[in-house]
Amino acid sequence: MSYIPVIGLEIHAELLTQSKIFCSCSAEFGGEQNSRCCPGCSSMPGTLPVLNKTAVKYAIKAGLAMNCEINKFSVFDRKNYFYPDLPKAYQVSQLEFPLCINGYVPIHVDGKEKKIRLNRIHLEEDAGKLIHDDFNAVSLVDLNRGGIPLIEIVTEPDINSAEEAKAFVEQVSLLLQYTGVCSCKMEQGALRCDVNISLMKPEDTEFGTRVEIKNLNSLKSIGRAIEYEIKRQSRMLDNGERIIQETRRFNDNRGETKSMRNKEDAHDYRYFPDPDIPQVNLTDEDLEAIRAELPEMPDKRLERYINEYGLSETDAQIIVNQKLISDFYDETVKNYNNPISVSNFITVELLRRVNLGEVSMDNLPFSAKEFASLIEMADTDKVSKNDAKKILRLMVETGKSPEDIAKENGFLIVNDISKADEIISTVLAENAAVVEQYKNGETKVFGFLMGQCTKKLKGVCTPQVIKETLEAKLK
Amino acid sequence: MNITNLKLREMRDLLDKKSISAIELTQEYLNRINKFDDKIQSYITVTEDLAMDSAKKAQEKIDNGNTNPLCGIPISIKDNICTNGIKTTCASKSLENFIPPYNATVVDKLDSQNAVMLGKTNLDEFAIGATTQSSVFAKTKNPFDLSKVPGGSSGGSAASVSASLCAASIASDTGGSLRQPAALCGVTGLKPTYGRVSRHGLVAIASSMDQIGAIAKDAHDCAFILNTIAGFDCNDATSSKAEVIDFTSKIGESIKGLKIAIPKEFYDSNIGINSEVKNSVLAAAEKYKKMGAELVECCLPSLKYAVATYLILSSAEAASNLSRIDGIKYGHRSTRGENFNELIINSRTEGFGDEVKRRILLGNFVLSIEQYDDYYKKALALRQRFITEYADIFEKCDVILTPTTLSTAARTDENISTPFKTYLDNICTVSSDIASLPAISTTCGYDSNGMPIGMSIIGKKFDEATIVQVADAFEKSFNAVSPELI
Amino acid sequence: MKNAKLFNTLNKIAIFYKSEVLKLDLKMISHLSNLSKLSFTDNELEKLSSDMSSIIEIVDIIKEVDIVYNPLSDNKNVNINDLREDVAKESMATEKILMNAINSDNCFVVPKVVE
Repeated sequence: MSYIPVIGLEIHAELLTQSKIFCSCSAEFGGEQNSRCCPGCSSMPGTLPVLNKTAVKYAIKAGLAMNCEINKFSVFDRKNYFYPDLPKAYQVSQLEFPLCINGYVPIHVDGKEKKIRLNRIHLEEDAGKLIHDDFNAVSLVDLNRGGIPLIEIVTEPDINSAEEAKAFVEQVSLLLQYTGVCSCKMEQGALRCDVNISLMKPEDTEFGTRVEIKNLNSLKSIGRAIEYEIKRQSRMLDNGERIIQETRRFNDNRGETKSMRNKEDAHDYRYFPDPDIPQVNLTDEDLEAIRAELPEMPDKRLERYINEYGLSETDAQIIVNQKLISDFYDETVKNYNNPISVSNFITVELLRRVNLGEVSMDNLPFSAKEFASLIEMADTDKVSKNDAKKILRLMVETGKSPEDIAKENGFLIVNDISKADEIISTVLAENAAVVEQYKNGETKVFGFLMGQCTKKLKGVCTPQVIKETLEAKLK
Repeated sequence: MNITNLKLREMRDLLDKKSISAIELTQEYLNRINKFDDKIQSYITVTEDLAMDSAKKAQEKIDNGNTNPLCGIPISIKDNICTNGIKTTCASKSLENFIPPYNATVVDKLDSQNAVMLGKTNLDEFAIGATTQSSVFAKTKNPFDLSKVPGGSSGGSAASVSASLCAASIASDTGGSLRQPAALCGVTGLKPTYGRVSRHGLVAIASSMDQIGAIAKDAHDCAFILNTIAGFDCNDATSSKAEVIDFTSKIGESIKGLKIAIPKEFYDSNIGINSEVKNSVLAAAEKYKKMGAELVECCLPSLKYAVATYLILSSAEAASNLSRIDGIKYGHRSTRGENFNELIINSRTEGFGDEVKRRILLGNFVLSIEQYDDYYKKALALRQRFITEYADIFEKCDVILTPTTLSTAARTDENISTPFKTYLDNICTVSSDIASLPAISTTCGYDSNGMPIGMSIIGKKFDEATIVQVADAFEKSFNAVSPELI
Repeated sequence: MKNAKLFNTLNKIAIFYKSEVLKLDLKMISHLSNLSKLSFTDNELEKLSSDMSSIIEIVDIIKEVDIVYNPLSDNKNVNINDLREDVAKESMATEKILMNAINSDNCFVVPKVVE
């Protein structure tokens, strides 16, 4: 029996603010246990939340990047439940008036474009962390992460395959990176994904029973979990079994989802507007000011690279896929207006150095201007293409400028015509027999003569000059 | 003349004139506490050493030409206000050993003026109640009659002022918790406009109504204190940026032509008002009339919904605010519990008293998904209605005069088994909390047993200066009685 | 006529039973206790059911009122620019955070949580 998977995702993204959402403790990742806490985020009696302006701004930026409508009147609500990582026993979230509603993210799968609609993006606070100590049969609670601002991105059930789900998460990750609001490092838990999945037959008018899958820590596990779940539910439905609405946990090692011990019956979160947090208002001007802070987004850049710069789709995609690369690319082109050449040098040479782990894009020891300079030097034959690669490696190692490196290592092609003339004359004299052959019509020996000249003239002038001079002399 | 009978501002004068020393003054109070508080039980914690230390520091400041109004003044603080390094129990077993590592903003403000904290006063557990009898540590008595309750939840604060066991007290009001005990104990209690005083450090019950205020011998003293504790606090997003003026500035100004509203619902026998109380307040109204004020009849039609609205909003917020009390981060932790769920259930069940439990259950009921629209959401709408109805009254009037309570202090053994029968007794005070308005209660008479009767003057938002002025106008010619302590 | 009499009798019986029906029955109290993380003995539950029902009767008066909540009228007009600047400040020392709690390895301790 063939079923249609109906999938909705809930993505939680940690925002890159300096301080937590409701207090001034540092929002940095890590740190000694409970070293980034205060009476507020450790929920002592008498403490009150004070909302972080930048957290709100960042949530709005994320919404704008994903084509959402922004609510100019927004309310924070309490979601009440008990869990050891939630010190207040309620999480501040947003129910009826989230910061962002509707919206969509276009994805490309199998050459087709599809818009995945968003239901909402709202702002909420992260919980602390539990460290399980099996030996002592206790769990330890670290509240450093408690109070870090999160946005929750909720899709409509528009996704129909594991591929689409992964493409969506990748695209969201890209967009968030561009807005600068989230590091999207899934391995650090900066981006987390829950999957809601049900199956339906093509002729069904209603969705099937939904199962929630939690604990997906990488793009790969998202894919694997969905595939496993599709198989599991299909098998059950084929056997006439009913799908139980539940939460399942993905086991990475086994590649299986497993029912989570029934915590309790369905939670009644008893949402109500948080009386400690005044509603947030935005004017149109405020919204425009925030929108103006957004950089050019990946889809626009892709368009520009392909249409204006003439890059291939593949190359354009490689550059666009990391904001740091794209920014660096644009900056380089500003300094040396040869987009295709710059593109080649980045995608082939620079990224090779990056992939070898010699350097990272967020820590380049040279400027875009210097990089541009290097490419220009190669293009104008001031250095040979081969030597340009070497210069880049040395730039990575030493941080020196390409000009300095070229000078120090004798990579500069001086194009001393008179010297070239002299040496070529010598070569011709030494190979008089071959010259005769050439003059008698054996043009293929030109290659041999080129080779001899090139050997002797390495670094003295460019191949172009050698060729021209040689040709002239042979006439 | 016993200096402890003086008004706070008179003490200020004597201190600055060096007629008495801060140390003498504090010692005087500590002696009185030692002598009388066994019977009255207004304090949970007396901070003797700290007080003497503070008094010494205060004296240094005075010697160097002090200008701070509260320097060296001995003050008690309700034990639901966090004091760094000093137990803050909320009169509950669940927090019996909780030592906050930080000060409430009001405490910082008092400290910065070198006020002297004598100790933490008793209250109903978590400020939920109207008798102070639900405290697990002590049963505070009314200094006017030790067989009677001091009111609540700020019973300890009111009793400590009434019995002159402090010059003034910092207390909190959610539905009348500050004004009602002030009235029953024959002293003056000022609840400011919601947002006037920072709630940072006040253990929250009803976040949308809780306010810190002052209980003192008279309105002038209350305003004196408000000058220090009022103001926007960046730690409290609900605190107001409204300008902090000198709240004593209108004292002594004539109230001729001032319009005093008399809302008929507050005086209707339907609500169960005792005739002595009613007559006493109406007599005060007549006095105001003689002073040249104009009495204006008006109504607050929604008054009959006030208690229900208050109970729904406050219990819901309290239930949510008290969820953090689980023994894990602080407070009483049960020794029984195989897993997290069992452990917190046991800790909370062992730590909370009956009334607190009832309030939590009620709160979760009105917030539960099936009931939310009919109860909590409706109460939110009713709050808006109260705000509108009060605004309508204030279109025509400057202040509103109502009784503070329906009767004078009850006996300590009344209503023990069914305390919730007294919920409706709060009807006179709750609506000003719901509408976020400032209100001051002052003594307007005594019943046939000599028990104090209080009247409340409710003002426009942020108009504490006028209600202080009006209360003071009455107090000037009223012979307030101090309780006789044996 | 006969039907009217029957109807009246049935009505009287219904009223009698209605007054005996608690607004908050044991099932509801149990559910609320669970939400509240409180436990009660069977005796306590019975008394609670009766007490809570009385309390609900007090608050039920608001059902008379036909009114709709408008969140916008609670708007305090706080603008995004009025909010707290995003500046990290020094946190409180870990010892102070933990000083009121049972703790180990700089953490709060709970019985092992099975996820």
